[in-house]
Order: sequence, then C-alpha cells, then structure tokens
Amino acid sequence: MNLFGVMEVSGSALKAERIRAEVVAANMANAETTRTADGTPYQRQHVVFGAAGAGIGGNFRSQLLAADGLFSASPGTVPGVQTPPGGVEVTAVVADRAAPIRRYDPQHPDADKDGYVAYPDINPLTEMVDLMGATRAYGLNSSAVQAAKGMITASLDILK
Amino acid sequence: MHISTPLSGELARYLDLSSAELKLTAENMANLDTPGYRTLGFDFAAEMARSVAEAGWARRGPGKDVGPATPKVGKVDGLLERPDGNNVSIDREGLNMAEAQLQFRIGTELLKHEFSRVSNAIHEDK
Repeated sequence: MNLFGVMEVSGSALKAERIRAEVVAANMANAETTRTADGTPYQRQHVVFGAAGAGIGGNFRSQLLAADGLFSASPGTVPGVQTPPGGVEVTAVVADRAAPIRRYDPQHPDADKDGYVAYPDINPLTEMVDLMGATRAYGLNSSAVQAAKGMITASLDILK
Repeated sequence: MHISTPLSGELARYLDLSSAELKLTAENMANLDTPGYRTLGFDFAAEMARSVAEAGWARRGPGKDVGPATPKVGKVDGLLERPDGNNVSIDREGLNMAEAQLQFRIGTELLKHEFSRVSNAIHEDK
C-alpha cells in the first residue's frame, strides 16, 4: 500500500473536475454564438465521467499538469493521460442534441430567410449549478490530498 | 537479534489498513459524479483481526514474512442510490477520511513509542 497512490487517485479527480469546469466555462462563453466552423450555432457540451479500472498509474504531477487543451483534442474525445486504477477520467465530451432557440432578428447577419436567428439552447442557471458542483467536488478531492499529505508527514515523523 | 517486536509488526498492519482505508475513500470521492459507480469499502475490525492472526501464525511458523496487509475490498450496501446508479455518500466518505487520518496518527505515535522503547533497551548499559 502506497500513500502516494491516494494522491494519484485524487489528482485524477482534480483533473476531471477541472475539465468539467472548463466545459461549463466554454458553454457560458458561447451562449450567444450563432456561427461555428461548420456554420451551425454552438452546441452545448457535456462531460462524461467514467471510473478508471486497471491501468498504468501516472504520477500526481502528470495528472495535474497534463497539457491537454480541451478543444485541441479530436472532436468528442479528450486525449488519455494514464489514470490510476480506482481514479476517475473524462471518457468523452459530447454535444447536446437539443434544437437551437430561434429568435426574430432580421438585421442579424446569420438570420435565415424568415428573419429568425438560431441561438444555442444554453441556460445560465443549469451551467452555474454544474459549475458549483465541479467546484465543490474539486474542493473535496483537494482536501483528500491534504489528508494524504498529513499522513505522509506523520510517517516521516517516525524517523525523528 | 530482532529490532522489530510483535507490537511493531501489528502496528505496521494497522497503518497498512488505515492507508488502504484512506485510498478507498479517495477513490470513492474521486468517483462522486461517475454514473453507475458503487461505493467500495472493507470491514476494518474484521480485516485487522484476520491480518493480526495471519502475522501471529507466520511468527510461530517457519518465520516467513507475510508482507503488507491487503484487505478484501467489496461493495458497500445500504447506501442511498441516485437515479444515475451512483451511491457515493459525501457524509460517509468525509467521516471515513477523518477516521482514517486519526487512526494513522495513532498508529504512527504508538510506533514511535515502541521504537523509542527498543532504543532505550539498547542504550540501557550507558
């Protein structure tokens, strides 16, 4: 049993919650985006968490500092950093299939022939609740890291 | 000659199980929002008794080292399940984490005293 394993597990959770907060931030930032690369309005993104089974454990630093730009990844996936067994990982970032909201604004450059503009269906309240959940879960896991740190320090005290 | 005593061996097992408890708690906390995840845990008292019995048997036997204590981990039942199939309870995990920390603290303090007792015995002639 290795106390640093606790840090790896909690590190994977810190990373997953951080990605969740990033996705919420992206959703809120694009709440009014009517035009994306393929010409459609922005679609709300969801993260999907999965429990990591047996795998090759990375270390705490690589978990936290993994250079994975969320949107530089291939669509719908997040590049895999080795998640320790028992940890959590973001298995996918999927787009919501909700239809866009249509608002009448004939002056808008993206208005269709009837004068309606398609806006993403993003509710700021839902996003804030999700962000709050991500923040609280991040705090919970960082207190688990603190606990593991305290135990490692205590076992080092035996040497004194 | 032995520097380690039966008590220090048992304390080492106590510390093994406390850190296993902390690791499981951290895993449960990490999967707080994972759909379908089930809380993992083990019976501390039963595992401690089994582990101490194992160590005692090994001491009396051919003197083989039994290695670190590894508890039998299972799914915890009787917890409230959310609609997404996840049954992690923050209250339970928070309490378990506090308990594991205190147990580890107790274990290290007792181990320190045990080692200083051995050290005193070594330095008795001075």
